[in-house]
Amino acid sequence: MAGAFDFTAAVPLLPFAAFLIALIVGHFAPRLLPKGGAIPGILATAGSLLISAWLALTVSQGDYHTETIYTWVVGQNTFDLHFGVLVDPLSAMMLVIVSLVAFLVHVFSLGYMNDEGETGLPRYYAGLGLFTFSMLAFVVADNLLMAFMFFELVGLCSYLLIGFHFREAGPPSAAKKAFLVTRFGDYFFLIGVVGVLATFGTSRFLAVSEGVESFPHLAEQALLAAQGEGATPEHVAGFLDVVGFEPQTWFAILGLLILGGVIGKSAQFPLHTWLPDAMEGPTPVSALIHAATMVAAGVYLVARMYGFYALLPTVLAIIALVGGFTALFAATMGVVKDELKQVLAYSTISQYGYMMLGLGAGGYIAATFHLMTHAFFKALLFLGAGSVIIAMHHNEDMWDMGGLKEKMPVTYYTFLSGSLALAGIVPFAGFWSKDEVLYEALIYGSGESPILLAGYAMGLLAVFFTGFYTFRMVFLTFHGDARTDTAEDPHGVGWNVKFPLVVLGVLAATVGLINMTPVAKLTGAHIEYLKDWLAGPQGSAFANIGYEHYHHLLVDFAGYGADESLGVLVPAAVSLGLALAGAGLAWRLYSVPEPVEHTEKLGSIKTVLYNNYYQDEYQVWLAEGVTLPLARAADTFDQGIIDGVVNGVSSVSLFAGGRIKRIQDGLVTHYAALLTLSLVALLVAFGLLGGWF
Amino acid sequence: MAVAVEYYLLLSAAVFCTGVFGVLTRENALMFLISVELMLNSANINLVAFSHFYGNATGQVFSLFVIALAAAEVAVGLGIILVLYRNFDDVDVTNATTMRW
Repeated sequence: MAGAFDFTAAVPLLPFAAFLIALIVGHFAPRLLPKGGAIPGILATAGSLLISAWLALTVSQGDYHTETIYTWVVGQNTFDLHFGVLVDPLSAMMLVIVSLVAFLVHVFSLGYMNDEGETGLPRYYAGLGLFTFSMLAFVVADNLLMAFMFFELVGLCSYLLIGFHFREAGPPSAAKKAFLVTRFGDYFFLIGVVGVLATFGTSRFLAVSEGVESFPHLAEQALLAAQGEGATPEHVAGFLDVVGFEPQTWFAILGLLILGGVIGKSAQFPLHTWLPDAMEGPTPVSALIHAATMVAAGVYLVARMYGFYALLPTVLAIIALVGGFTALFAATMGVVKDELKQVLAYSTISQYGYMMLGLGAGGYIAATFHLMTHAFFKALLFLGAGSVIIAMHHNEDMWDMGGLKEKMPVTYYTFLSGSLALAGIVPFAGFWSKDEVLYEALIYGSGESPILLAGYAMGLLAVFFTGFYTFRMVFLTFHGDARTDTAEDPHGVGWNVKFPLVVLGVLAATVGLINMTPVAKLTGAHIEYLKDWLAGPQGSAFANIGYEHYHHLLVDFAGYGADESLGVLVPAAVSLGLALAGAGLAWRLYSVPEPVEHTEKLGSIKTVLYNNYYQDEYQVWLAEGVTLPLARAADTFDQGIIDGVVNGVSSVSLFAGGRIKRIQDGLVTHYAALLTLSLVALLVAFGLLGGWF
Repeated sequence: MAVAVEYYLLLSAAVFCTGVFGVLTRENALMFLISVELMLNSANINLVAFSHFYGNATGQVFSLFVIALAAAEVAVGLGIILVLYRNFDDVDVTNATTMRW
């Protein structure tokens, strides 16, 4: 009987088929394409969602799956390169999230794109299909190289979709920026992939059958050998001799290189600058990018190869600090933004910072949990923002809104659910996951790794700002009096906008309940379903990608130890209190009929925040002040020295040729004379050399 | 008393040099042809002389081939000269200098 795993490849391939249909039919016979390609896309993502749910159900029975689909390079005496799938709890969960969000975004696009009379719809839906395909294929990838390929494809799709309105000035520039900044990170990732393949001879995440190896496991063996247990695997030992590093050092370098790609894609400091600009794309695309696909890819990659990162305490500390810093840094910028989507953009950066903090602090489950809850509430917030933007005739300035609460109740209540989740107010989804991230950072920080406390402090402070900017946004948009005529009489939205909002609104409110760690700790009830889900089976090869194994690695290799003396109640209460304080401040300042700007009170900080800490400026300066002169010098060297030598040689032979050709004057007698003289000269030469004389 | 082979060689060298001199100095294409004939015949003298010297007929047979070749060469050469005359109204080789840089 055919099981769910026989259909694994169909999960990514269905959206790919939708992409092909939208592209080909849209080009040759646009009349045949209902709704500009939306219908094939909706059907395909619905199909993917069903299969993903079936996969998740099968996985929940403890039945995992990995399979090599196609080997595209067969190496002689070296490694093969292949495409394969890996379905385990993590990827099954992510498949459901991605296909659900993609499905809802397709439905929402009917309202946001079709009903608004946009042109170029086949191109739009083709982009969405390819985007979904790339992300799903990335999620099921069973090796790092395949993951890298689809990681790149995700970047390309974001470029295509952010620049969808290519006739305006902003979007193409934003698209280029997103592409280039993430490419900068991916460059390091590429070197990391090559390094992993060279070091381990494999880039598999997991090895189950005989004769294959997985690189996290090889790394683990090499590190064990360095501690004096067992032997370093032959291939790894050979390569470590070549590079001349200790295994710990070299693996940390590899981990950091791959982390470069993660930082670019997940918009962590200092490569976060592309993300706010990416708001130029159509709003459903923003929802897709920020909730489930592009940005999630980075964090997912770290979680996917956590068996490798868990071995490297230095890299973990860097991940945690970058994450914590980004969470705080982005949250402060979100405080002063005037445009609805800009606030959400900075909140995305900040929330992914939390996930990185969680991963770096050893909270694999917490980070994965936050990845999931964030996917739902951020998709909800973006789609809610899209609904508001439709209503406001594509005006995004929050100061032009106000009082939308009564006019669009469905949007308001779902948006409120998302906002409560984002701000981390109990019992909405974000509270449980964010609190768990912070809790993990705290217990490991006060345990064996005090550096994590710095990450925890920054994350905790960011909670306050998150609460503030979230509710500032809600109050400015929905409360008070309408401040413009458009807000007075907003454009209505249809079922295709409300349906995704309601689905996500319910999820944002409830999905946190699947892993209520504080409640479980207090009552002793067995309700940490996500933890059980990710724990991994004991005794089978799949145990190597389960949480139990990761925890064991963290303790043995990274030296993480939890301080169990801390209760769960106080940290949770502190973060909830901060979130409420932020929300309360926003309520005091902005929940009035006629809110005014309070940013002036910030003084000079305001300018810094408005300019995003001059991040763009210094990066532009780096490009123009350092890279450009360097490139110019290289160009001069290339044009002057390298080309000069080549041109010099050729001009010498050109000049010589011009002179020597004159002996060919067309006079037969001269040719005959030359022949004769040459023969004589040759004879004389032979004679001299041969010793005739 | 047979003539010593050195004298044949000297004669042959003298005829060959005459031919080379003719090719290098003359302007008339017909004189070219005649000079080439001289060079070929100096080679024939050589062949016959050595054939006689070694008492082997192969050299003389070769000289017959050379004579046949010379006849063919004259036929081709005269054809070229005819075309030269048609194109340049003259058989002066110094005029036909269009095939140059």
